Amino acid sequence: MAFISSGYNPEKPMENRITDIGPRHFEEFLPPVIKKNKGTWAYHEILEPGVLLHVADSGDKVYTVRCGAARLMTITHIREICDIADKFCGGHLRFTTRNNIEFMVTTEDEAKALKKELNGRKFSGGSYKFPVGGTGAGVTNIVHTQGWVHCHTPATDASGTVKATMDAVFEEFTSMRLPAPVRIAMACCLNMCGAVHCSDIAILGIHRKPPMIDHEHLDNMCEVPLAVAACPTGAIRPTKTEWQGKQVNTVAVKEERCMFCGNCYTMCPSMPLSDKEGDGIAIMVGGKISNRITRPAFSKVVVPFIPNEPPRWPTMTKVITQILDAYSKGARKYERLGDWANRIGWERFFEVCGLEFSHHLIDDFRDPAYYTWRQTTQFKF
Amino acid sequence: MAVVEFKGKKFEVDEDGFLQRFDDWNPEWVEYVKESEGIKELTDNHQKVIEFLQDYYKKNGIAPMVRILSKVTGFKLKEIYELFPSGPGKGACKMAGLPKPTGCV
Repeated sequence: MAFISSGYNPEKPMENRITDIGPRHFEEFLPPVIKKNKGTWAYHEILEPGVLLHVADSGDKVYTVRCGAARLMTITHIREICDIADKFCGGHLRFTTRNNIEFMVTTEDEAKALKKELNGRKFSGGSYKFPVGGTGAGVTNIVHTQGWVHCHTPATDASGTVKATMDAVFEEFTSMRLPAPVRIAMACCLNMCGAVHCSDIAILGIHRKPPMIDHEHLDNMCEVPLAVAACPTGAIRPTKTEWQGKQVNTVAVKEERCMFCGNCYTMCPSMPLSDKEGDGIAIMVGGKISNRITRPAFSKVVVPFIPNEPPRWPTMTKVITQILDAYSKGARKYERLGDWANRIGWERFFEVCGLEFSHHLIDDFRDPAYYTWRQTTQFKF
Repeated sequence: MAVVEFKGKKFEVDEDGFLQRFDDWNPEWVEYVKESEGIKELTDNHQKVIEFLQDYYKKNGIAPMVRILSKVTGFKLKEIYELFPSGPGKGACKMAGLPKPTGCV
């Protein structure tokens, strides 16, 4: 398409430049019933999966219908969301912290009609456009990252693995029959953008091979001391090497010290490490961020490696449903996945989930690793 | 990689317009880049920042942290942005011929 100016003048880039205005104030977009009753809510209840009711001191009611979203979406899709909001909600809507969409109405009949409308809309491939659910003790949306869509350090894909997982656990999105909410999160490398380190079940992209080193370009592309300092295990050192008859500054990687985190590639483009067969997924479980009953907890690695199997990742989804089934059978009401595993003991967790325990799962990172070993005689055979 | 020509000099650059090799830097490079970085006239202050970045890079192998740049040159971050509208990384480091900043930028 031919160039169409927005009015910006590249000859005078600083002229008429507006900066530091921040985001719009949220009050501009509040539905009238929310604005009126802000700060005076009395109680709430979940009427059915995906439908919430909040009642204010004034007696005003607001019904919220929550529906799933793929997070990565087109403007066409956003416009369809706006059309629905125009038709049912006076043009108002909101997105949740897990990237679900919430539509708010003021009567139960409207909420019912809205739920029916949302569940009726499908893509041409057959997927629900706006499946209603994500409330209470179920599985809600998966917090995830960029993957092969946009990032340069991923070890797996985000949108693909998430779609495969949500398809496998879709029943749990539209129902509330688990002991407690199960948060699933996904990150495509161990930068862990998002919530994998604190989720009930976490999908994490990992590498299994050390970086390749582009000696020819490294000194020009990279600030060598930064690459050295990026390594958590001190596996990288600066060195000189011969390249096509010339002495060049570069780095050397002690491969037996490298655990394939990829931090050096983040700092230095000449140290790529992604690998089709080497890369895959680790599964972590048992994290949470709420303070309810027990403290917040990190998730722990329970499956060290599952190969990448695009486009559906069948082994990964099988492991996740295995864990979810064992948890839903074994846990008590209100018990989060980590609380359950801690109560029954991790040796029992591996047994009931049918997972293999390997030496990869034993912490060996610096002094704190010691505290993760068992310094007691209390265990189950 | 693209090669640009300016006043008879050739520069190999990446897609963001950073020099591929620090050794290829020469004063013409600054002349060439300044326009795309929103700089009309090069002043002594610009020169001072560029020279410090180059000295620091030659000595330490890295670009200085912003606070070091400010402390040594005496320019507050605000003043650095007034000199280089794209900021110390995309503006000043590019003009000085340093490698492209990396990490989660």
